[in-house]
Order: sequence, then C-alpha cells, then structure tokens
Amino acid sequence: MRLGGPPRSPRSGPSPEGPRSSPGHVHFGKSPQGQPRRARDPSPRPAAPPGLRGSARPRRRDSPRRAWPAALPLGGGRLWMGRRPPSPEARGPAPRRPAASPAQKSRASPGSPGPQPGAARGAAGGGPAQGRADAYREVLPGQRAGKMAAPMELFCWSGGWGLPSVDLDSLAVLTYARFTGAPLKVHKITNPWRSPSGTLPALRTSHGEVISVSHKIITHLRKEKYNADYDLSARQGADTLAFMSLLEEKLLPVLIHTFWIDAKNYVEVTRKWYAEAMPFPLNFFLPGRMQRQYMERLQLLCGGHRPENEEELEKELYQEARECLTLLSQRLGSQKFFFGDAPASLDAFVFSHLALLLQAKLPSGKLQAHLRGLHNLCAYCTHILSLYFPWDGAEAPPPRQAPAGPETEEEPYGRRNQILSVLAGLAAMVGYALLSGIVSIQRATPARAPGTQALGLAEEDEEE
Amino acid sequence: MSLVAEAFVSQIAGKVPFIHVGNQVVSELGPIVQFVKAKGHSLSDGLDEVQKAEMKAYMELVNNMLLTAELYLQWCDEATVGEITHARYGSPYPWPLNHILAYQKQWEIKRKMKAIGWGNKTLDQVLEDVDQCCQALSQRLGTQPYFFNKQPTELDALVFGHLYTILTTQLTNDELSEKVKNYSNLLAFCRRIEQHYFEERGKGRLS
Repeated sequence: MRLGGPPRSPRSGPSPEGPRSSPGHVHFGKSPQGQPRRARDPSPRPAAPPGLRGSARPRRRDSPRRAWPAALPLGGGRLWMGRRPPSPEARGPAPRRPAASPAQKSRASPGSPGPQPGAARGAAGGGPAQGRADAYREVLPGQRAGKMAAPMELFCWSGGWGLPSVDLDSLAVLTYARFTGAPLKVHKITNPWRSPSGTLPALRTSHGEVISVSHKIITHLRKEKYNADYDLSARQGADTLAFMSLLEEKLLPVLIHTFWIDAKNYVEVTRKWYAEAMPFPLNFFLPGRMQRQYMERLQLLCGGHRPENEEELEKELYQEARECLTLLSQRLGSQKFFFGDAPASLDAFVFSHLALLLQAKLPSGKLQAHLRGLHNLCAYCTHILSLYFPWDGAEAPPPRQAPAGPETEEEPYGRRNQILSVLAGLAAMVGYALLSGIVSIQRATPARAPGTQALGLAEEDEEE
Repeated sequence: MSLVAEAFVSQIAGKVPFIHVGNQVVSELGPIVQFVKAKGHSLSDGLDEVQKAEMKAYMELVNNMLLTAELYLQWCDEATVGEITHARYGSPYPWPLNHILAYQKQWEIKRKMKAIGWGNKTLDQVLEDVDQCCQALSQRLGTQPYFFNKQPTELDALVFGHLYTILTTQLTNDELSEKVKNYSNLLAFCRRIEQHYFEERGKGRLS
C-alpha cells in the first residue's frame, strides 16, 4: 500500500513528497470549502532539496497515529478521501481530540463514507502525493475538518532586514509554524492596533479566541497537534526547557538593549524601520512608546542585579550574553539542529534570537561581531533561513524595494508636486488678494515722487 | 539560623547569601562561585563543554522557574501573603513601616511578574510550571546520584537549595511541596545530599 508507507516510518527520511506536503496542500481535500489557508504558497517549496525537506518533516505524532497503519490498508488509494468527511460531521471542537480518535478509526474502517468532490479533485491532482501528505499529516481528519471552518490566523510584524519578521516573538512563532507546517493564515502587518489583541504577534484560533503571548501561541499549536517536539526524548524535552530559560535570562535582555536602548542602533535601525513601516499617525509616537515599554521591561528584568552604574551593568550583560552564545555554539556543535536532524521548538526560539542579531545591520554591534565569530551558529541561521523562508529572505528586499522603488520614483514627482502645490497656493492667495483689493499692484515704478504716487493711486482707482 | 529561614531571607533581602573572606564580602551565588573558582576550587572542571553548557542552562531554568514560582507564591498568592509574608517581611520594623515596606515590596514584585509575563498566571498555572520544571530536573537527573554523574556541581547545590527549601517550609498550602514530592528521584537526591553534607545539623528534616 502506498499509503501504508510513510506513516510507518516516523521520520520519513527523504520522502519525495516532502515538498508537496505543505500547508496549502493539506486542504486539498477540503476544497469544497474553499482554500482560505493558502497563506504560504508552497510553490517555492519544490526548490528546496527533497531530501532536506523530508528530513525536516513536521513531526506531529500522536497515539491515534499508530492506529493508522492498521487502518490504512483498507480502501487503498481512496482511503484518504474517505478520511476527509464533510466538515459538519467532524465539527465539535471540545471533544475533538479524545473522541476523534475512535471516531477516526471507525471512519477509517468503512473506508469511504462518501467521496467528496474536493477529494476527487484532490485525487486527480496528485492523489498519492496528497494521500501520503494527508496520511502523513497524521492529524485526525475530524480535527482538520473542524478547524477548516475558521482557520487559524496569525498576525505578526512584517519582514525586514532579510527576515520574515523583525520582531523576536513574531519570528519565533512564524518559524515554529513553518517547522511544523501548521496551516496558518499569516497577516503581516505593521500596525499593532489592527491586530485582534492590540499587540503583535497574535493568534486568532479557529474558535475565535485570541492568544497573544508567543509561548502560549506555541502551546496552542502544540495542542492542535502541530508539535515539533513530539520525537524528543524526555531528557531532550528537559534540555529544551533549560535552554529556553537560558535564552530568556541571558540573551533576551541584551537583545532588547541592543535594539531598543542602545542609542545609535535605536535611532538608525529600529526606530527607522518602525517609523517607516507604520501608517501615518502611529509612526510618530508608537516607536517611542515601544521603546519606553522595552526599557521598563529591561529594568525590571535586571532589576535585581543592579550594580553601581549603567556602564557596569551593560558590560556585565554583554559579557553574559557572549557567554550564552558560546554555550549555544558548544551545545549545537556540528549538528544541523539542536536535537538531531529535525527542528524542534527550541530551534525556533534560538533561531529567532540569533537571526535578528545576525541579519540586522547594526551600527554598534558588539554582540553581533561575537556572533559572527561563531561560525556554526551563523551556518545554522542561514540554513534555517534558506530552508524554511527561502522566498522571504529574497522577498523582504524586493517588496521593500518594490514599494521603495515606486517610492523613489515618486520621490521626484513628489517633490515636484509639492513645489507645484505650494506655487499654486501662493498664486491663489495672490490672485484673491488682487481681485478683492486687499493688495494692489502699483504698475508705476516705485519712485517716491508724489506725481507718480498720484498716478499710482489713479491707477488703483482705475483698477477697482 | 536554620537553612530554611536563611533561604527565605535570601529571597527577601536579595543579598544573602554572602561570604566574608578577609576584607572581601562576596554575595549571591554566581559571584561566590566565581570567587571560589578564582581560589582554585571549582566543581565543574571535570565537565566537557557541552556539559558545561547544559549545566548553565539548567541553572538558568531553576532560577527562571523555581525562583520565580517561589517569589510568586510568597508575594502574589493572597493567602500566603496575608498570613506569612507580610508579617515576616515587616517584622524587623516598627509599626507603620512594616506595612508600608511590605506593600511596597509586594507591588514591586508584582510589577516584575508582569514584566516577565507571570502577572496573569493563576496559582494553578504556576504550580504547573513548577511541575514542568521538576519534571525536567527529574528527567535530567534520572538514576544518577548527581546531575553530572559522580561529582556534585554548582547545579546540584542550586537545585538542592531550592528543593530543600520548598520541601521543608511550612506554607499555607502545601501544593508546592507536593509537586516536588511527586518526583521520587528528586526527593532521594535531596535526602542524599542532606545526609552527606549536613549531617551534623540534625537528622531527617526530610522525613
């Protein structure tokens, strides 16, 4: 059985279907309901080497999954279609998870409760691949169907500096979502007030609730079976927690300091980006407000360890951050990801921290210089960027340039328009003044001889 | 002073523990470790680099989760605050000062909690975090006598300090110590260290 293949191997190494099993394709079977989640178009995916994609497969495994290989031999190629029942059947968010597994098994046994037109289309459009993709998806059809009703939407800061997002938390969540192939509709916005919770990143789940802390978003994704940590051993899970604490305590304060407190960096890089990106009235006060918030946060974070003066504190912080980077480098060694060949949530967090530091062009980047010296970390970042955000890395400059292009083209026009409008305004004012007699032009040369003055007055009367 | 009181005072005052050597006073765990290391005694010399990285990471985990949870329990859980913390914190001071300082400290801690994202956590969530942390420590410890096999390291000292305090302090609710007690290898670890290194203090505070 074709379909029996991949699911049986938990880490389906070089699955040639790797590139195809992308979020957009998951919902192939759901096409009757439209495809709201074509957020990340997988077209560039096939560009990535299949082997690598296969090795970077999302790992969402669960006990019901184990039952699949048993159920799969039934129905063969059409099984996966049968497994995609129409959504009304599968709606029922709360008891989804526990109930879905027996439900799923029972659905699996008949084999085909009814082929869906979308499923048929799906079958037409590369059936085995989709089947494998869907089967590999492993997520209980009931759940997906239930979620299809309202896909998860992620609101995050848009990209810049060669990254898909300039904000640490947004980047972490995006990366995690990419790792696990979670079907998210990503809204990259630059106006935090437009997000459902007022801050970014924010996730609107399929039930309409809004989660806005990045850890909680990732926990939610995990609960929805998009779990990149499934294959980790207990010890590795413990290591994950430990290293995330290390990141938070040692590296995060320094990152905040580098981007928001350090005067040169703030003015030339951070504030510039945010002020340019935000829409009109916000760009005046929001970056400043964000800076104040970050400063307060930093003070509270390091509040307990306040030595005598700022310089000392800074030095200490940077010292610890450098140590932290070195530790990370030592822990990574020469592996591709922290726990072997497949990315985990720790990789998402580490990547987001490091990528920001690496990619932004910081005028005063002491930590950046240190990071650049740790080659395995740099290679790690570029590897993840090229693998999971291949077009974002290229996309960020072109869209920035594309609006910047017409902008710079418009620039001369803009200038010209400005000058023209000023002239027009002046002309209008002068014309009005002349016409209404507030001002009058003395055609005679302004020689102060009374004769000419009289002439001028006479002319005035004439004009009026 | 008993170990328990010292530990709690350290969290309140922030500058204990300290050691006094000759003219120097070195306070807090990190600097003390560095100081001792400079004198030529270090517990983590035998570790390779990956292990050192892990040790640092786990120490941060303990600081991040256990310490914060302890602070939360002391200052943000109303029952504990009312019954124990306010009284104890304000006890050195005369009348209105004890209340004022206690409230001020509480407000400060609450601000800090908010900054690190713990402001909206309920007690249950905090206990769950503690559970996760203990689980991580327990898994890391496994069946070994110490975290890095045969020799105790700074991590062992830190973990012992926190766990022992949690286990032996009487608070209004015992859920925190119950969470720790769920992990038998951590209990055995604490008992072992207590017996090896603190025998003269009297036996069996850990029953």
